[in-house]
This record gives sequence, structure tokens and C-alpha cells, in this order.
Amino acid sequence: MSEYIVKENALVDFFKSLASGRRLLTPQGLGDKCKLEETPPDKVNLDFSNTHMSPKSLLFPQTEALMAFHNDASKPQAFVYQSLGDKGEPLAVFGIRPCDAKGLSIANKVFQNDRFTDNYWKGKIDQAVLVGLACDNPSPQCFCAAMGGSPFGEAGLDVLAFRQGKDLGLKPLTPKGEELVKASGAQTANLADAIKGLEAEAVKSQGVPPDYKGIDNADLMALFNDPHWLATAENCLNCGVCTFFCPTCHCFDIQDETSEKGGVRMRNWDTCMSWLFTVHGTGHNPRPSKTERVRQRFMHKLKYIPLKQDGVRGCTGCGRCVAMCPVNIDIRSVALKMTQTAASQA
Amino acid sequence: MPALTDITNKIRESAKKLLASGQAEVVIGYRQGTIPMTTSPFFARTADECDLLVWSNFARINLANYLPGRAGKVAMVAKGCDARSAIGQVTENQILKDNLYIIGVPCTGMIDTNLVVAKEARPIREVVETADDSITVKGQGFSTDIKKDEVLRRNCKTCVNRTPKLANELVGQEVNGAAADDFADIKALLAKTPAERMGYFKDLIKDCLRCYACRNACPLCYCPVCFVDETRPQWLGKSTDPMDTMTFHLLRGLHCAGRCTSCGACETACPVNIKVREFNRVMELTVQNNWNYEPGLSWDQKPPLTMFQTDDAADFIK
Amino acid sequence: MNNPYLPYPVRIAEIRVETEDKNLRTFKFEFLNPEDEEKFAYLPGQFAELSVPGQGEIPIGIASSPSEKGFVLFTVNRVGQVSSYMHNMKAGDVMGIRGPLGHPYPLDKLKGRNIVIIAGGFAVTTLRSTITYLLQPKVRPDFGKITFIYGARSPGLLLYKDEWMAWEKRDDIDVFVTIDREVPNWGYKVGFVPAVTKEVCPPPENTSALICGPPVMIKFTQPVLEEAGYQHENIIMSLENRMKCGLGICGRCNVGPEYVCKDGPVFTLAQLNRLPKEY
Repeated sequence: MSEYIVKENALVDFFKSLASGRRLLTPQGLGDKCKLEETPPDKVNLDFSNTHMSPKSLLFPQTEALMAFHNDASKPQAFVYQSLGDKGEPLAVFGIRPCDAKGLSIANKVFQNDRFTDNYWKGKIDQAVLVGLACDNPSPQCFCAAMGGSPFGEAGLDVLAFRQGKDLGLKPLTPKGEELVKASGAQTANLADAIKGLEAEAVKSQGVPPDYKGIDNADLMALFNDPHWLATAENCLNCGVCTFFCPTCHCFDIQDETSEKGGVRMRNWDTCMSWLFTVHGTGHNPRPSKTERVRQRFMHKLKYIPLKQDGVRGCTGCGRCVAMCPVNIDIRSVALKMTQTAASQA
Repeated sequence: MPALTDITNKIRESAKKLLASGQAEVVIGYRQGTIPMTTSPFFARTADECDLLVWSNFARINLANYLPGRAGKVAMVAKGCDARSAIGQVTENQILKDNLYIIGVPCTGMIDTNLVVAKEARPIREVVETADDSITVKGQGFSTDIKKDEVLRRNCKTCVNRTPKLANELVGQEVNGAAADDFADIKALLAKTPAERMGYFKDLIKDCLRCYACRNACPLCYCPVCFVDETRPQWLGKSTDPMDTMTFHLLRGLHCAGRCTSCGACETACPVNIKVREFNRVMELTVQNNWNYEPGLSWDQKPPLTMFQTDDAADFIK
Repeated sequence: MNNPYLPYPVRIAEIRVETEDKNLRTFKFEFLNPEDEEKFAYLPGQFAELSVPGQGEIPIGIASSPSEKGFVLFTVNRVGQVSSYMHNMKAGDVMGIRGPLGHPYPLDKLKGRNIVIIAGGFAVTTLRSTITYLLQPKVRPDFGKITFIYGARSPGLLLYKDEWMAWEKRDDIDVFVTIDREVPNWGYKVGFVPAVTKEVCPPPENTSALICGPPVMIKFTQPVLEEAGYQHENIIMSLENRMKCGLGICGRCNVGPEYVCKDGPVFTLAQLNRLPKEY
């Protein structure tokens, strides 16, 4: 696939084409109000840092009603749950950052795993076309390169867009993306070298990335049993803000809610920071204190997910948990401790 | 010497003495955060670790949060509001007074990073805190001075008890509190119709994620099982249903009535910048009006709503 | 698209109180739509989410054997909200089951081997499924000697009484049922499961052990098997953890990188040795 270019004066037409037959969502608003919103083609903003929350709620809303039943015994199917549908709709999302798209690709392998397919997730992702916008000026909180990604990363995207002066470069990455770009009337252009140059520049701005490779090779139980977890978790509030903001955190709770006429079964985001998350009906809790819960979160991101996903880390370096944690627990510091554990075991 | 540096030095000195003498097994303070405009609660147990303790304009989390149920002798670094929380925990039997040592910091207020970002939207890579009444934020190609009193947290602006007078020691000169909090905003709110008030609070919490960071950062919220986590019976739904969300905030406000010291940890912790304290402030004013009580200003006075007196003003309770 | 969250509607055909404390009841379900029974094709060791509309779901091991047609059996302990609600339901009520979930016991890989089945308390459910399955005339010849060791605190807490008494009379399975303390007119063994295991368990050669029971039973039975010479690869256990989705997605039942629901619940002791003990 070749690259394409959209000239500055053709940008609105390009976004019109994206919005044709679909809802166009782009980042709107500033700071903590920046979120993906339906956008008229002439109101797309290319000057944003990143959305306050990750885009995962597009495919995995915080609360999602899955099925419902009625309790009228005089009618058919009383007390039988009926699906409320997959609720997918044609969507074009422009302006997802590569870290977040990578996050979606990691979650995608959980929602569509080796044994089961979550139809509610699939119904949405199959109808969405994701156009990323590369980061030519990463934020101070960003560390995608340290986690094996790049400000120009392609994982999870259908098209990678990047700023080429005042124009917009496009690199289709999937057949779906290619189709979208071709339909937009963008002109082909050979921009492979330009991308390489811009990417190198952007990566450089993050400094020399720390090397966490030791974790990948370390013994799981050595990492798990290291005494540092007590100190690492000591100031944690167990609030779970990190999990709510994380682009790869996918855990949820399933809850039934009833009304006079029946009820619904819904799923809601849940967090491994809560003691309720794992407590058995008997009261036994495999992760009884915050130390086990904090360890779970970091082991999940940096060891368990890589083991299950061909070495890809479950942290994409978007930096939200670092910025949002009320007590500044920094996953980079934790990764460093784990790297030290690995080195001392080697 | 800048006041912050002076306080930092005194905290370290005090912490080392306390550990060496056995008066404390651990000193809970703050260390520098890994990104600009943050600190991180830190547990110092050795002299070397004491040298990591700092004082800063961003020491916003209330360290009394780490006290309940703690065994052994503990020292904590405390602003005026934090010391009041710790004292409140003593009156509520969460920690023994004899096990607690308060290193009191006369506080000139903490900075709301959202207000800083509102003044300087460019990505901030460094903050300099050497001046007493301003900070300097720096990034790619800029350096901006910001007056501290323009970016103080709301609770710090109206704080009356900046100096923790009941602390075991003070590190730094006493500072005068602001003029008395007149609760003008809350009085204006209470003058509105019930529908308007409900509208106000609904709008206030519309972004709430139910992450409970406010609760978990709160030194008053030490219940072993919070009512929102009860499962049998389950009092509250787990979705983002606005009624459930409202119930959480209203009940938390009521649970904190007469106990909140306006430390602002809840608002600092909130990841979507909800003014969580509005609920508490209504109750704060209510308790002041009814019982002329402010928490954490004495070692033995219990919050009015946790005790019974025969001369209670309300008839129903007699 | 197939919806793995949507339960198959079932009717409670029969409820049997299993234990004298009435805390365990066996539910016999019939599918409302006969074609769902085909879709619910399972093997011993798998579990399902029992779904009570408006109350929620609970993961329960399947107690019936795939050889038993027309119904499925689940024995439910009264513990939490859903199970307590189920204990107040009656025959004829409609609810749902979702599954089968998890991996079965690796019986296909155990062909030609002796099998010792060790159960404690109500964890016997999926082992009842296993034994019923193994004792089918066309399956039984595929396996060597079969030994069943089953213990409970008292006679009234033993499940499936009619069945193990019938198995006891057969000559193609050795049955050892035990209770913790002697009671009058008890004609079987007395003592804890580990002690009985030590006494009767077959030699380790060409033998695999399937164990299900409370943690304390497993803790003390494991060394007995080790002492008898069992390799950890040949000690097969079934784990429990809090679950919701059963599909390896909702995230709470993990033991290290493995999800008990999707990758388990059946693990060999050799596998568990390399995993955190978070269960």
C-alpha cells in the first residue's frame, strides 16, 4: 500500500468523505474536557494533546445493557433473557493516538480470544474505521517508546494519519483503511521516508527509553515473589483511577437490575483495585490486601499480557495512570523495580 | 532560604530524630513526584529515606488517610487540615493519641494544578518552587511565573486553620489563616429552590465515573466495607445510573457531616475534577449552625452526630 | 452472531435436597428449546453459569454426565445471593444456563491409565459426572483400574448417596467413602480423606489422580500422593475463583496469566506449581 496526501485546502472534503454514511468522531474540547465527540467535517481539530480518557468506551462503554427479560407469565418468553443487540453502528474515528489504538488492539485480543468472541465488542469494532493521528510532539507524560510502541505506531489502526506541514499524510494499514482513503479522493504520494524522519524526531523527544527487557525474560514467580511489592503498594489508595483511565484495562462486572416488569443484565467497568473484585462467596479472598491487588495490576500489564500476547506489553505508555494517580504511583518506576528484580535473579 | 526548603530541612531533621529515638517507627511524609506538580506519599523508616522527604506546593493528599488501624508508633507530616483529620481520627478511636506524632507544617496553601494549566496551557515539563509567593513553570521554549494566590485550591483560599496548633511540633513560622470562611457560596446555594439545588448537584456530578477516588483519598472514609460495596443487601447499583451516583455522593456527604476538615484530598484525587467538597461544605455549614462545632480542634470533643446529649436541640431524639 | 453471554432458557424439572443441613440441593434442568441441549455439548469437569433472571449468575460445575440425556444436573451450595435465591425456587420455574465453560478433565489423554478420584465435601459434583461417564459400558474398557475416595464430615453431608452405594456394589470401581468421626451404624470408613488416601490409593504407575475438595483437604492429600510416588503431572485438580463472564474477558479469576474460567478450571499440579497461589 502506498501513502496518500490530503492538501490543507482539501481537509474539509476529506473529513466529509469520512463522515459519509457514518458518524465521524474526533477529539473535541480542551484538557480534562477533551473527548471523542461527533464532529462536523469543518470542525475537526488537529491541535490536541490527547483525549482525557482512553477511547475504549467506544467499544466497551462503562455501563452496557446486554440483555433483558420480562416477568409477565401470561406472555411468551417470561423470565427468558433476550439480547439487546450488539449496538454497533458505522463509525469513523479520527484522531486516536497510536498508544490508544495499540491499547484497543490489546483489548481486542481479550474480547476476541482463543476460545470466545465477545459479540458486543465485535459488533462495534467491526463497524468502526479507526484513523490514528501520529504524535509529532508527544506530551511530557508520554512514554510509548519505552513500552515498545511509537508516536507513529500502527497497531490497532486502519489508517495512520500524520501532519505533513499543513497537509495531512495518510498511510492505510488495513483493507478497510485503504478503501476509506481511496474513497476520500486523497492523492497517492510516496511518504515512507517522510514518516521515518518524523517518527525519529518524535521518538527522540521522549529521551532514551528505559530498557525493561529484563522483565520479559524473567521468571514469573521471581517477579511475583519479590519483596518490593509491599513498598510499591504502600501509598496506594486502591481507588482504581489507573484502571478506569487505562486503554488496555478491560475488566468488568456483570450485574442484574430489576424493575416491576422484569430486569436487565448489564456490564459495568470494574477494577482489580477493589477487594470485591476477587472475594469468594465464602468470604475467602485470593487477593486480600492492596499489596496483592497492586501487584496484580502491574504483573498483568508487564508480565501476564506479554506472556499471552506474543511479548506485547499491556501498557502502551499513554501516561494517563501516571498523570491521574492521586499518589503518583508511576508504572515506569514499578517497571524499573521489576527490571531490577529480574537482573538480581539472572 | 526559601520557606519550602527550610520546612523540608526541618521535616527531615525531625523525622530522623523521631526514628532514632524510637518515638516513631515510620514517618509518613511526601517525596517529590515523578512528574511536575506532584508529590507522592512516602513512608520513611531509615535516616536515608528521611532525606527523600520534601515540602512542596503540591503536598495535597491528606496523610491522615494512612493512619486508621495502624499499629505501632507513627509520625506524620501534616498541614493544618491534615492535623485536624488525624485528631478527628483519635476522637473516633481510629488511632491511639499516644501512638501518633504530628509534625505540623504551617501551611500557606496548596496549588490546584488545573488552575495552573488554565494559565499555562503548553505542556509543562518542570516547575520551580524557590519563591515564596509564586511558582515558575517551564516547558519547550517558555518559562512562566504564576502567583501562588491566583492558583490556590478553593479550600486553601478559605482555610482558617492553616497552622496545626495541636501538633507535637511545628516546623516553620506560624501563619495566619484566611479571614473566616463565610460560606457565601453555600448560603447562596441553599437559598435556591429544592429543584434548583438538585439541578446544581446533578450537573456537578454528571462526569462522575464512580471510581471512588474521593472516598479512598478521604481520611474520614475508613469503613471496612463502604455502603457502596455491600453486597447483601446491595444498596446501590453499580452502573453509571445518575440516581445511584447521586445517592453515593449524598450519603458520603452525610457520613462526613461534622467531620470534614476541608483538606481537599477528595477534589485533588478526583480524575474528572468534580467539586466533591460541595456536598461536604453544605454539611459543614449545617453542623456549624446547629452545634457550633468544627472538627479536629480538640483532642477530646467528638463530632456532634456521633454522640447523644440530653440537652440536644432536636426534640425527636429525646 | 453467537452471543456467549446469553443463557439457554431452562425449566427446573426437579429439586432434590442432598444434605441433612439442606444447604445443598441438586437441580435437574430441562432445556426449553430442545435444540439448545445439542449446543450445550459438554464433558466431565466443565462448568456453566447458572443464570437467575434479575438475580445474577453463579459458576457451578456440571454434575451430570454427557451420557445422561434429556437433562443436566447441578448441585448448588447455599452461599451467596444467587444460590440462596435458587434454594427458594421450585420445580417449573424458568431460569437459564450458560455454557459449557472451561476445559474438561483430560480423560481422552488418560485412556489406558488407572484413575484415582479423590473428593471432599460438595466438591464431588464434577467427579460424579466423571464417574458416571467412565462407567458407561462402551467407555469403561478404555481405562484401567478406577478408585473412588470420597469423604465428608458426617453421613448426612455426603451427596449422591444412591449412586455411590450402587457403584460400591460393582466390581469395576473401588469405592471408599469416609466420614470424619465414627457414628452408630456407619458401615464404611472413618477418618479424613488424606489418611484414607494413604491407606487405599493405588500405586502411582500408570495412574492419574483427580482431586476436588476444600483447600485443607487438598493441602494434606497432596503430600500423601507425593509420598506414594505420584508425579505432579499426574495430579489433576480443579480450581475455583470468583468469576463473572466465564469467557476469559472480565478479568477477575486469573491465576497469574491463566484465567480459571477459560484456561482452567482443570490444571495439573505441575502447572499450578509455576503459578501464583491466588485462588
